Amino acid sequence: MTIAIAPSTRSVPLAWRNLLSNKRRLARAVAGIGFAVLLMLVQLGFKQGFFDASLGVVRQLDGAIIVMHATKYRFGSEDPFPRADLAKAPNVAGVASVTPLYASWLHFFWKSPADGKSYLVQVFAFDPDDPPFLLPAVRADSARLKAPDAVIVDRLARPFLGMASGARATELNGHPVQIVGSFALGPDFMSDGTVMMSAASYARLLTDNRASAASLPIEFGVIKLRPGSDVGAVERGLRAALPAGVRILSKRQLEEFETDFQANLSSAGPIFWMGALVGFIVGMLISYQVIYTDLADQLPQYATLKGMGYNTFYLLRVVFAQAALSAAAAYVPAWLLCLVVYRVIGDVALLPLHMTAMQTLISFALTLGMCLLSAAFAIRRVVALDPAEVF
Amino acid sequence: MADAGARDLCERLAPGQPLARAEGVSFFYGEGESRFQVLFDIGLEIPPGQLVVMTGPSGSGKTTLLTLIGALRSLQEGRVEVLGHDLAGLDPAGLVRVRREIGFIFQMHNLFEALSAYENVKMALQLAGRRTAADMRARGVAMLDRLGLGARIDQKPRALSGGQRQRVAIARALANRPKLILADEPTAALDPDSTRNVVHLFKELTVEEGTAILMVTHDHRIIELADRLLHMVDGRIVSDIILNDALRICEFLKDVDAFKALTPNELTHVAERMKKRHYMTDEIVIREGETGHELFLISEGEVKVERGGREVARLGSGEFFGESALLSGNPRNATVVAMHPLEAYVLGEEDFHAAIAASVSFREQLRRVYFLRH
Repeated sequence: MTIAIAPSTRSVPLAWRNLLSNKRRLARAVAGIGFAVLLMLVQLGFKQGFFDASLGVVRQLDGAIIVMHATKYRFGSEDPFPRADLAKAPNVAGVASVTPLYASWLHFFWKSPADGKSYLVQVFAFDPDDPPFLLPAVRADSARLKAPDAVIVDRLARPFLGMASGARATELNGHPVQIVGSFALGPDFMSDGTVMMSAASYARLLTDNRASAASLPIEFGVIKLRPGSDVGAVERGLRAALPAGVRILSKRQLEEFETDFQANLSSAGPIFWMGALVGFIVGMLISYQVIYTDLADQLPQYATLKGMGYNTFYLLRVVFAQAALSAAAAYVPAWLLCLVVYRVIGDVALLPLHMTAMQTLISFALTLGMCLLSAAFAIRRVVALDPAEVF
Repeated sequence: MADAGARDLCERLAPGQPLARAEGVSFFYGEGESRFQVLFDIGLEIPPGQLVVMTGPSGSGKTTLLTLIGALRSLQEGRVEVLGHDLAGLDPAGLVRVRREIGFIFQMHNLFEALSAYENVKMALQLAGRRTAADMRARGVAMLDRLGLGARIDQKPRALSGGQRQRVAIARALANRPKLILADEPTAALDPDSTRNVVHLFKELTVEEGTAILMVTHDHRIIELADRLLHMVDGRIVSDIILNDALRICEFLKDVDAFKALTPNELTHVAERMKKRHYMTDEIVIREGETGHELFLISEGEVKVERGGREVARLGSGEFFGESALLSGNPRNATVVAMHPLEAYVLGEEDFHAAIAASVSFREQLRRVYFLRH
């Protein structure tokens, strides 16, 4: 079946004319279906944004292979392992460097320069000479972390933490700290803000100077490979060399591990999936209603076609073309508007929303499908009945 | 107007060839308790070239009958043949083909609001297939022009008056020169000038192309030009009158033995030359001994034939007299007196001889009758 998108010179482009002739009907279709598209895209965006946010830190890790405790069930669950477990890693063939990364989600209270209250924050600590993050600001400022109690903060953290306030000093766990720089990471659904420091500062702030960094358990071992090494082979080498109590994942596997937790184990994942699903259903119902009303208005016209001697195939072709054109006419502006909405939501909720090809494809396919289905329902009467009964 | 180009008038009555035929058609609306009969055992034949007007009060079933013949509604009881197709025996694809051959002018115009006047007509033209864009344009524009819409070709229905829209609908129905046109109140919204224009177009199609037109209308300007008038009341055809004199004579002649052998063409020729004449009771139609110049065909009434003051025969409807003097050249050999008010069709001497010269069979028929009477 060919759908005439542009007017042809041979036969009358009825669907095209129908679409454009009645401006009010067109406006109604574009507004109605467009709203449905927006609803779908925003819900899809939320879902996508949620998963993106949960992977934000993982993606910034500067290593091809990550080592963590075997019982750890998600990136942000605090489940450290002894630093000594990494001792044999540097000797494994293909390994270029092994960087211990300390992390804490449950033990650091940040006094907000904004309101003076204390809030739990996500903390990462590492050797300032060897920062295991890709974030450019972290790499640039890490030397400054060598100063005692110096920290760098996430300037995209939620505003109540005051991390973007320009304050130079505040307190962590009651100890004064110097804010010596900032980076751009953004919050996720678990932590509102992130603080990074040297391993030495970490040990001091966490144990009140009772333990050295070297004696504290670490959360991750971030491993870089020599150029040209095979990730799989190095993984196998590490598995053989390291104790059984650690899990060895490539960065990609870690992302999947985290996504799997969010999608299937956390409560947030299903909520966002549900939101997207409801968005689809509501969006489809709106599309259905709009197209159905649109065509119901024109039923006598279609009955006339039949009365003149047009066959059912032609009838369906025109109706489907009209529905598809309506869907396309509504989709394009809604898609563009959605980019703006993503931007606004991103700024307000600090949730990074991105339009992806997949979201575009899914939402367009659903819109188109629904419009075609509605058209089929609306035209059913004309196809089934004698023309004279519809006039 | 009866003879305005009525070349093959009698062909319109040629049996076995109607363009539309209904037989025992009944129709019901609704189901069960609310079932309501709108058509009762309708029988109707519409031969080529007839402009048939159907009148009747609203709700008498006119539109229903029209849509049944137009294959726009499924038959319930009875039989409808259109353009040689038995509608009951057609599958949906067959019905689609029949609809393409019929020009249906809908009561509500049913124009495509999104299309220009020309495109509306083109919707019909492109159905006929294998036409170039230029050909379609030429035909469509010519038809719209003919209906006085030449300046409105590219306007949409919204920009047109009710009458103009109606004319676009007419142009669309006529664009493919269908052999059968079904029209539901086609001139309801037209001003007198447009109506005259449209009616003359219809008339032209019936006369020149043998198109049959069945039209629901109450417009007297159309009824005046109609060949035939059907009147429907409560779902029945209560009268079916042939308005066209020549047509009526044809109808009459084809049942008269002497004329049966004539071809429709010859019959038309005779019918067109016959004059209707009325006589009162006891009036003498021809007198024994006078010179005879005319042939008489009794349409209604009865005459007695007297020879030498003695009644020798009585003749009734469908019988003719006066042929003897014309064939022999002798004076009238009998007196003919009307017994009741008499209506006769009269054929002059010249036309009589012309008819005889034209038709061997007619001449032989007359001779046979002539010898039988002598």
